[in-house]
Amino acid sequence: MQRAFVATTVLSASVAPIGAFLVLRRLSLAGEAMAHAITPGVVIGFVVAGLSVTSLLVGGLVAGIVAAALTALLARKTILRSDASLASIYLIALAAGIFILSAAGSAVPLKSFLFGSILGIDDASMILFGGVATVTLVSFAFLLRPLIISTCDPTFFEAQAKRPLLIEQAFMLLLVLNLLAAFKTLGTLMAVGLMILPATSARYWSSTITGQLGLTFFFALASCWVGLTLSYLFPETPSGPAIVLTAGGFFLISVLLGPLGFGGRWRKPSDQTSKTLAQTSNKERRQ
Amino acid sequence: MSAVLEIRNLALGYPELTLFRGLSLDVERGSTLAILGANGSGKSTFVKMLLGLMAPLSGKLSWPDGPPREIGYLAQMTEFDRRFPLRVRDLVAMGAWKGFGLAGRLDRMTSAKVASAMVAAGVDNIADRSLHTLSGGQLQRALFARVIMQDAPLILLDEPFAAVDQTTEAHLLSLIDRWQDEGRAVVLVVHDLSSVLDHCDNALLLGNGEAYHGSVDTILTPERLVAQNYLSKSQASWMFRASRDEAAHV
Repeated sequence: MQRAFVATTVLSASVAPIGAFLVLRRLSLAGEAMAHAITPGVVIGFVVAGLSVTSLLVGGLVAGIVAAALTALLARKTILRSDASLASIYLIALAAGIFILSAAGSAVPLKSFLFGSILGIDDASMILFGGVATVTLVSFAFLLRPLIISTCDPTFFEAQAKRPLLIEQAFMLLLVLNLLAAFKTLGTLMAVGLMILPATSARYWSSTITGQLGLTFFFALASCWVGLTLSYLFPETPSGPAIVLTAGGFFLISVLLGPLGFGGRWRKPSDQTSKTLAQTSNKERRQ
Repeated sequence: MSAVLEIRNLALGYPELTLFRGLSLDVERGSTLAILGANGSGKSTFVKMLLGLMAPLSGKLSWPDGPPREIGYLAQMTEFDRRFPLRVRDLVAMGAWKGFGLAGRLDRMTSAKVASAMVAAGVDNIADRSLHTLSGGQLQRALFARVIMQDAPLILLDEPFAAVDQTTEAHLLSLIDRWQDEGRAVVLVVHDLSSVLDHCDNALLLGNGEAYHGSVDTILTPERLVAQNYLSKSQASWMFRASRDEAAHV
């Protein structure tokens, strides 16, 4: 249990900036799709080399890179847009992963792949979480400003940066790495939950990027600790879904009370600085 | 006036479609060049080429003083994310992002430049406002402040007055005049024939596979605007008659 608390704390620090930018870059569903797309790589790695961090990393990375490359290829060279390309690839990949796992007669239950095994974390997994978190946070020290600009004003960024695609590729690589770390603890179905829900919750509270990043980490950490505690108090409760459901609870609270959610509608309309995003959207629709 | 950029015998387009060919012009310091043309005439493609995002089919671009470290650029608002969680001062600071340190921290000198640019563009009073609370005019002023931060010898503005009121337009035009006085070259894509053209020295009219360049008065004639599919005959007749009537009235 102590390991689970430490692991999810490190994981929260790592996935928070990734989740925040997935939401801001309008890639929330792409992140979900990518989580499923890495499944066959992880499964093949497991079938070939057993259940180890190395097989997980190598298999997942190869699958993630292949899925991203195929998606980009289809989106650029054919009529399909990137969302339809990624959806096609991930559906095939997820089905292939489960098929391979079943056909190989795996001793590891399917449930473990789908929902993770957060309470059975070994030393190698802890090293994986620490490594991924270190790589992610150090990378963000360099990528933060270009990521902000390329997300907010992509045309301007493309015109100013020497290699604009490099930022996108680096971000996707970090996404795959963090998915693999989350995959180990939360499984393929829940991995993205810890990225997206804290980030969408934070979106309702903060109008600055610093606040967005900080609150995303706070909601992710709180979801992990509360979810794990619930899972400990009620042993029948699986820890992965408990964590993601807790994150869902924070999301609902944020929607209802956050100043940029419905909470903002209850404020005085004359307060210009607290004008909500919802109000802005309504104005845009009227125009 | 010396040229920032020299373009010679340029052909622009795509492998299956040539937009125009045979264009030669100098983009001179302290001048403003207006680019006009109907939809699909190649205005945006020309801007992309100036930014180095696409190569010409043939011809030559040369920078007499060497390629600039940076080209000031204000893009159309189509892809700008107004919901992004940023304050006005952060948006303005983007203009100097290449000089930022680790984790994007601003030094004291850059912060002072940001403050000065916000004053010049008239957004210093809304420096801490979030982008999603700004009107179209306020956001455009902030983006002009970002261009100031870029401190570039050549400035490209792609339809900068598309969604701003007259007061804001007048303020932004005064900034363009100031850039001219500072010896910067400004290239301005304009959608409509308007008083904006009074602030331009030269015009580049694109359309029908042709590119005409010269002073505003010699290029933007009714006959040529109709020939280039920029105006219909009735539009040209109405517009220039109204213009003559107004001149007579004055």
